[in-house]
Amino acid sequence: MRNAVGIRRLLPTVTGGGVLSRVSLRRRARFGVLMVTAAALLFPVINGNDADIDSAANAFAFAALALGLNIVVGFAGLLDLGYAAFFAIGAYAYGVASSWQVQPEWSGFWEPWQWLDLVSRFHTANGDVVHFQVSFWLMLPVAAAIAAFFGVLFGAPTLRLKGDYLAIVTLGFGEIVPIVARNTPSVTNGAMGLNGVAAPRLFGYDFGVNATPYYYVGLALVAFLMFTSQRLKDSRIGRAWMAIREDEIAAAAMGVDRVRFKLLAFAIGAAFAGATGTFYVAKLQTATPEMFMFPVSVMVLVMIVFGGIGSVWGVVVGALLLQILQSWFLEDLSQWLHALGRLVNVEWLQHVELASSIELIFGFILVLMMLYRREGLIPAIRRVAPLSLDEQTAQIGRGGFDRLPGPLPNPPPLAGEGRVGARAASGPLLEVSDLTVRFGGLVALRSVELSVPAQTVVAVIGPNGSGKSTLFNVVTGVVPAGRGSIRFAGEAIERLRPHEILERGVARTFQNIRLFPNLTVLENVMIGMHARLDTGPMGALLRLPANRREETAAREHAREILALFGNRLLPRADHLAGSLSYANRRRTEIARALATQPKLLLLDEPTAGMNPAETLELADQIQSLNHNGLTILLIEHKLDVVAMLAEQVIVLDHGEKIAEGPPEAVRRDEEVIRAYLGRSAAFA
Amino acid sequence: MSDYGVLLQQVVNGLSLGAMYALLALGFTLVYGILELINFAHFNVFMVSSFFGMWALQFLGITGQSRVLAGPALAGALVFAFAVTMIGAGILGVAIERLSLRPLRGVRGTAAMITTIGVSYILFNIILLTVGAGSENYPNPLPVVRWQFGEVTLELKELLIWGVAVVLMLALHFFVNRTRLGKAMRATAQDAEAARMMGIDVDRVIVTAFFLGSALAGAAALIFGLYYNYTSFIIGYTAGLRAFTAAVLGGIGSIPGAMVGGLLIGLIETLGGQLIAVRWTDVIIFSILVLVLVFVPTGLFGRATPTKS
Repeated sequence: MRNAVGIRRLLPTVTGGGVLSRVSLRRRARFGVLMVTAAALLFPVINGNDADIDSAANAFAFAALALGLNIVVGFAGLLDLGYAAFFAIGAYAYGVASSWQVQPEWSGFWEPWQWLDLVSRFHTANGDVVHFQVSFWLMLPVAAAIAAFFGVLFGAPTLRLKGDYLAIVTLGFGEIVPIVARNTPSVTNGAMGLNGVAAPRLFGYDFGVNATPYYYVGLALVAFLMFTSQRLKDSRIGRAWMAIREDEIAAAAMGVDRVRFKLLAFAIGAAFAGATGTFYVAKLQTATPEMFMFPVSVMVLVMIVFGGIGSVWGVVVGALLLQILQSWFLEDLSQWLHALGRLVNVEWLQHVELASSIELIFGFILVLMMLYRREGLIPAIRRVAPLSLDEQTAQIGRGGFDRLPGPLPNPPPLAGEGRVGARAASGPLLEVSDLTVRFGGLVALRSVELSVPAQTVVAVIGPNGSGKSTLFNVVTGVVPAGRGSIRFAGEAIERLRPHEILERGVARTFQNIRLFPNLTVLENVMIGMHARLDTGPMGALLRLPANRREETAAREHAREILALFGNRLLPRADHLAGSLSYANRRRTEIARALATQPKLLLLDEPTAGMNPAETLELADQIQSLNHNGLTILLIEHKLDVVAMLAEQVIVLDHGEKIAEGPPEAVRRDEEVIRAYLGRSAAFA
Repeated sequence: MSDYGVLLQQVVNGLSLGAMYALLALGFTLVYGILELINFAHFNVFMVSSFFGMWALQFLGITGQSRVLAGPALAGALVFAFAVTMIGAGILGVAIERLSLRPLRGVRGTAAMITTIGVSYILFNIILLTVGAGSENYPNPLPVVRWQFGEVTLELKELLIWGVAVVLMLALHFFVNRTRLGKAMRATAQDAEAARMMGIDVDRVIVTAFFLGSALAGAAALIFGLYYNYTSFIIGYTAGLRAFTAAVLGGIGSIPGAMVGGLLIGLIETLGGQLIAVRWTDVIIFSILVLVLVFVPTGLFGRATPTKS
């Protein structure tokens, strides 16, 4: 198939990088896309063989399914093993809405529908019945919407589950849907299958069983879904999905509403399958439960694993290649073997049917790809140019910075703002009282009281295991508070979910660094802006001027934030966060937290693992943040850093607050010395 | 037969199926407890080993149900068949771990699980392509002996199934709780990293888990063949999913959980089939799977793991 060959030729332009400049790379990619499109458009004209065109149209259906599954598995990282269920739902939706299977009795209720041409009145010996004849073109979006509804319905119970459990639940739904189809013959004609599904018509032309029109509809469907996938991927929506894929807890702490975005991924992924189901059934003009069983879900999974999970071009190429393998190559190879068998007079060679071993090949593809090339044929992640020596050499800076980048132009209003604004001015910014957290028998925090006045730096110190990080986790909603209250700017936040707390202006870093390792530094920082941006799925798809402006401003803003750290992060903006040095990962995490435009910044051991010069540099920078109006709550083991930055120090030990006061006073406190340095030091 | 009698009979049948599911569920739980991996290959290790058992019995000259043995000959044939099946299944499980999963140790995310799906597919299709798509008549040397207790009939093969299941589960319990390797296994399940630092050969523990889990699947497979008198390339999928549901229901990672979950699923299958309809059995079982995962993800015996951050 020529278009697939074209895509393969495109490989180096999409994945290659290195010395090529960006501009020429983009131009070459654009040229490649143009060539592929031309080849795909001309294919039926050049080939002319109806069977080949028909297989190509089927291959498009599977490419469309692969694109949909790629949204769920590739972008959002939710392994769905029952994806064929949505394919089935879309297929039966059209199948029932345009066949003779369901024929309710005619009544006045149907008259407006008849006027809309969705049903017709059909005379039988036993009275008049309704004949559904909904147009294919109308059913494409309707089936997508129905499937999306079921995507949300099936997705909702799985939201709290870990990845592998989610796979099993989706597998369960994938089993249930075809069984229900088989067991409700009144609607689906059961195992016998729906028959006589109407073929699409366009301007009076009936598609019938002619392969060419289906080929073009399939091509258009794949092109549209690729466009949609790519647009979503390069937007706030795609970034939020990938953040969830990379690290759910960090995504939530950066303001991504996990529930909403997971459901959105399920819905959009299911919608792709729903529309594809309609296309597929219109083409086959029949639907049986066997068409939508587990092997189909696995086949689509094989396609995206083969092509490259998360890569839009990759999954399409993967789907097309495997379909070609199945419908042409193995057939041809079997024919050749039969001929060979006749030639050398070997009986079994004449009966080999390689096409029946396609699932065996799928199994080997899954295993071998996972073992040797997990990123697939066309990886989703581009390589980047190596840094110059200049860019690599860190310049140790002192003195922090003068000013922070201003806020984004017209950010959406902060949640909770206004309602509590009046009270916020008077009281402390953060006020924790009587906070108790238990993990089973362990009391991680016991009746902790603490208050952070606005625009101050407060440090929390204490031995390991004293509850410092738990305190941060509770304040940011990662761990639920057992008892007690947490007020931020006067508003109770202890029952809010992490992203809601972030929206109110609380951002954090993690002790054990939770960046999104397979996203670039720039993307990491832009995910921080998630709650301050507006673009929804429609905006991402249409890319209206407002969305364009917002995206450009966000990118610019992210670069400004990276620039705060001198030449440490900015030259590495397009590098994967996972490839950075330890200290740079810490800095990126702070940059990401700053991008959320916080009022209160919680830093969990920001200088851990840094040498003395780097520590001083970062301490200066933290001080500048404070001088620019940020309130900072800091966990830190290095007491000289604490003494330099903090106005107030709180000491935790075994979950209890044992001391509080200015750094010098706390340093002399006997209880603190005992907790920190041991009993003998206290009495020395 | 009264309704009550029918239900009681279905309880007996359910316990037999349940014993088989429990053995199969133990394999999921052993591997999950240590690797946190849902091993889809287990489905078809079960299926393939039912053929091991068939070939072992055929090797003894037993085909179909025509040749009935008794006394020491029967015991010998059964011990031989169970030994061959369980060792064959165990070796298959270890080979799968060694060849396809060990290279992926430490890789984040779902790569290992996707690999097990691939392995499962390979096993499935190897049997389909070599043995064929038909059902094989399973050799069965057991004499048909029935006892009547009121309205309930008890068969010799059911007693055999229960006996084998109880012996194997007690053996597993003893192994895990009383031996050095068993202790290493429990330690690894709690915290693999800490176990490694304490000098435990974690790879050996994993291999042991795969061997034991697969061997138990082998026993379950032979029981399947003797109970239903057939096997086919397709049996792994349904039985595997039900056994997996059993493991989840009991609390995946928990050994007593898998045993109890297996029995419950066996009972749900037979009683649900009786009270509702057999064609809805799978829907009932999968609905239970979904409901348990959503509302009690730790299952009946699972321990709650503290949130790590």
